[in-house]
Amino acid sequence: MKHPFRWIALGVGAIVVVFAVILAVNVGTDPRAELNTSRLLGKPAPSFTLTRLDGTRLTLADLAGKTVIVNFWNSWCVPCRDELPALQTWYAAHRADTSLVLVGIPRDDSSSAIRAAARTDGMGWTVANDHGAEAASLAYGTRGQPESFTISPNGQVVGSIIGPMTTADLDRMAAVGQGL
Amino acid sequence: MRRAAWIVLAVMVVGVIAVAFWPHGGHESEAAHMHRLASELRCVDCEGLSVADSSAASAREQRRDIGVRIRRGESDETIRNAYVDTFGENILLKPSNRGIGLVVWALPIGALLLGAVGLAFALRRWQRQPRLTASADDERFVARHRSSAPDE
Repeated sequence: MKHPFRWIALGVGAIVVVFAVILAVNVGTDPRAELNTSRLLGKPAPSFTLTRLDGTRLTLADLAGKTVIVNFWNSWCVPCRDELPALQTWYAAHRADTSLVLVGIPRDDSSSAIRAAARTDGMGWTVANDHGAEAASLAYGTRGQPESFTISPNGQVVGSIIGPMTTADLDRMAAVGQGL
Repeated sequence: MRRAAWIVLAVMVVGVIAVAFWPHGGHESEAAHMHRLASELRCVDCEGLSVADSSAASAREQRRDIGVRIRRGESDETIRNAYVDTFGENILLKPSNRGIGLVVWALPIGALLLGAVGLAFALRRWQRQPRLTASADDERFVARHRSSAPDE
C-alpha cells in the first residue's frame, strides 16, 4: 500500500457518503410514517373475545360474514370525545343495516367509566369492558386512541384510521369493508 | 518495553470485547426472561420508555403477552418478530441487525476501525520521521559555529 492515508481518507469519505445518503432518504420520508399505517392491512383480523356491557360474550367469529368497524377508545380521551358525535350520527343512520357492526373497545379504562360513558352518550353499538379489550388492543397493534379498523366479511383487515373519524371516514371504512 | 505495552493494550481490548459479547450463561428465570424481552420493546403509550419500565395498561398487557409466549416455548426471535409484524420495526428500542438496521450498527464500527488503522499508520510514521529535520543551511550554520567557537 503506497499511500495508506489516501485509502483511509477514501474509506472515511465513503462512510460519510453512505451516512449522507441514509440521512437524505430518511429526511425524504416521514420517519413516523409506519406509525400511521397498520401492519395488519390485508392480513386476517386478530380474533378477540370480549364481554358486552350486558354481560354477554362476543367473539370475532360471531361476526363472520359482516363488515365490522372496530373502534378503540377511552372515556377520558379528548379526541375520542371529539369523535363521538360522528359515531353517534353514523350509527343512527346504519343501525338497521344488519351487514354492518360497530364495536367499541376501550384500550385502558375502568369498567365503571365505560358504563357511565356508554349510558350518558347513548352508545347503542357494542361496547366491551373486560380484560379481553386490552388483549384485543395489543393484538391490533394500537398505538393510541381513537384508532379504528375495518374487518371485511371474510375476516380480513381492510381499513385502518388513527385519530378521530368523521362520518365520511366511517362511510369510507364501511364501503371498503363491503368491497364497494 | 514498548512491545509489552502494546501487548497489554491488546489483551485489555480483547478482554473488554469478550466480556461485552460473551453469551450470558446460567439459568434465566421466567420473570428475568420476560423483563429482558420487555426491555427491548418500546412502550407505545409512552415517550422513551420500554415496556419493562412502563405502568401503562398497554405495557402491562404486553408483559403478560410476553410471559404467555415464553411459557408457550416461543423463542426470543419469534416473540420479537411477532411484535415487529404487528407494530413495525419502530417497536424495537434498538435497531435490528437486518436491513437498514445493519447499516446503523456497521457504519460506526467501520468508522472506528478505519480511525484506528489511520492512527496506527500515523503513529508509525511519526516514530520513523522526526518532526524537525535539520536543513543543509542548519548543518552549515552549526558547523560554522562549532569551528569558530573556542575550545571548551
